[in-house]
Amino acid sequence: MAAELSSLDALREEIDKIDEVIVRLLDSRARAAYAIGRLKHELGRPVYEPQREAAVLAHVRKVNESLGGPLTGDMIARFYERIMDEMRRIQRIEAERDANKNNEEQITKNEG
Amino acid sequence: MVVVMKEKAADAEVEAVIANLVGMGMDVHRSTGAERIVLGVVGGGKVDPRLIELMPGVHEVLRITQPYKLASRTFKPEDTIITIGDLRIGGDEVIVIAGPCSAESETQVHATAAAVKRAGAKILRGGAFKPRSSPYSFQGMGEQGLQLLREGSNAHDLKLVTEVMDANQIDLIGKYADIYQVGARNMQNFTLLRELGRARKPVLLKRGLAATMEEWLMSAEYILSGGNKDVILCERGIRTFETFTRNTLDLSCIPIVKELSHLPIFVDPSHGMGRRDKVAPMARAAVAAGADGLIIEVHNDPDHALSDGAQSMFPAQFDRLMAELRIIAPAIGRSICLEPVARRGWAR
Repeated sequence: MAAELSSLDALREEIDKIDEVIVRLLDSRARAAYAIGRLKHELGRPVYEPQREAAVLAHVRKVNESLGGPLTGDMIARFYERIMDEMRRIQRIEAERDANKNNEEQITKNEG
Repeated sequence: MVVVMKEKAADAEVEAVIANLVGMGMDVHRSTGAERIVLGVVGGGKVDPRLIELMPGVHEVLRITQPYKLASRTFKPEDTIITIGDLRIGGDEVIVIAGPCSAESETQVHATAAAVKRAGAKILRGGAFKPRSSPYSFQGMGEQGLQLLREGSNAHDLKLVTEVMDANQIDLIGKYADIYQVGARNMQNFTLLRELGRARKPVLLKRGLAATMEEWLMSAEYILSGGNKDVILCERGIRTFETFTRNTLDLSCIPIVKELSHLPIFVDPSHGMGRRDKVAPMARAAVAAGADGLIIEVHNDPDHALSDGAQSMFPAQFDRLMAELRIIAPAIGRSICLEPVARRGWAR
């Protein structure tokens, strides 16, 4: 009993460490998505680009398959749907902020 | 808003919907299920759900917020309490409005007002302009009726509610009444509702004969959005396939509307049932279900009433009903005119 409990604790500790890595990686991914959002804005491209999202999903499915772990392709795709939802949100908020800024500049210009 | 895609929706169709929503400033949460894709849509943008529903591949669009704002409990969590003089509508006390269908004569108004006051009513009802189903039926006494009703309510220390049928009557009726009543047939007379939004007296808004609770609350929204915050909702029966009763009194709306809205809700069992022997049981049920008040037709001589005699209670029946309500109300933590007026002075 004691042995099982100590291995449960050890596994939980491992999960905590993995989570730290995941959050750091999500942070890096969000920073990259933010930079992409700025570029998209400069290039006049839409926040939502379905072909790109489909390519991301295909890519992660392929990577997941090569690992052969307990996650199925559909499971990893659902995780990524949520990740992309949030990344899209970052880009949308940024695009809105730019639009507001442009409006304000326009108003100041007109008033001046 | 939740967008449910069809089972066999093509990727391009799903993408077009997402692109549309993102373009309107919404955040989309895509969930791919075993059989269909569901899109959770949140954000501050304005989207017409019907336009999304028309897009290829969309199965249905479910709204999760109500279309009414000012009338909703989300907007104002605490109950609205309407104060008229020393009277509080929507508080702990169940307020009973009673009186004749129409003002017919000085004797009738005074005798009825005296009787309902004695039994514990706080507000006198009575019509001067009557929206009758037939143009050949008695149409009401007009301004003369308003005068009689005002005199009757003053003489017996009652407030007065009377029906306004048209926007051009608002000023005239406002001179006499304490509360404007909007009848069931006018629930969606939006011109009238808009004008009442500018009035500064409470409005008793009856539910239309075929109105859903949402449509009813949308009508309240019209009045509230005009700046008049004092709206009392009143259930009076809706049309169903049942012919035994005049209408089906929908008491299920009480707990539902209480949850959706902060506005007080009254019940009119007289119009809902259409026969006086069935009024008391439904009045008791309405109070037990949590109604903030009742509006009941009482006539000093129902058999000779010019309108709705069959559903008007005899004063003695009303007296008995009030005594029963005095037992029911405390069971759900409410009060109802604790001291019958007739006994004041010698009962103690």
